[in-house]
Amino acid sequence: MAELRLDCLGEACPVPLLKTQKKMEGMKVGDILVVEIDHSCAMKNVPEWARKEGHNVEIEEVDDGQWEIYIEKTK
Amino acid sequence: MALKNNVYYKKFLKEPWSYTAGAVVLAALNIGMFASTGKPWGVTSPFATWAAKIYQSMGGHPETWAYFKSAANAEALKNSIWLDLHSVSDIGIIFGALLATLLASQFKIKKIKSVRQVIAAILGGLLMGYGARIAFGCNIGALFSGVASMSLHGWVYMIFIFLGAWAGSKLLVKYFM
Repeated sequence: MAELRLDCLGEACPVPLLKTQKKMEGMKVGDILVVEIDHSCAMKNVPEWARKEGHNVEIEEVDDGQWEIYIEKTK
Repeated sequence: MALKNNVYYKKFLKEPWSYTAGAVVLAALNIGMFASTGKPWGVTSPFATWAAKIYQSMGGHPETWAYFKSAANAEALKNSIWLDLHSVSDIGIIFGALLATLLASQFKIKKIKSVRQVIAAILGGLLMGYGARIAFGCNIGALFSGVASMSLHGWVYMIFIFLGAWAGSKLLVKYFM
């Protein structure tokens, strides 16, 4: 049950999504990935992709225009 | 109750709209623009005009170039940008985007992550700008307004922009990630 962080601050689409997809591949079921983003379009496409894959997703706005997306790998 | 917790504030100003809502608003605005001015929406032509005006102010003569010999481009270059529909709408987009991000309380100056990111941005910008000029439009002027005008060129553009995006994303993954 590891918690990993992925720093995507300053990165524009589609880089955060591609990095998240790559990182999730190497994770075990139950692991949590925290993706740090400050690009509002990544706030839409990263959670959308993760939910479609069936993972548990939560978004937290940690600062003005900055978010952390929590993704729990479920399969 | 604080404004930031208000359900309507969240729905309309804070959270992203659905793709469907965005599409409907864009379509309505494009119809409105076409109905009131006789021109459909476009974005990239003014960039060439603005750059040519800057070049003129430095003593250059872009008006002798083939591109600025065409009637529409020659007129845009001669007139003030405030008389050009698409220049004004571009400025509106920039200020509208600023207003939207301020209203959502999401304004942020982003840090530049690496030299590689700068190179990718400059290369991407040059390719998009060059492509948009030789294709006589971008994904708005050539694709969105083209398809909406029942013109075949919009559909041809769509096929090739998919191929370009596919090739571009391969390059992005290979060299810039």
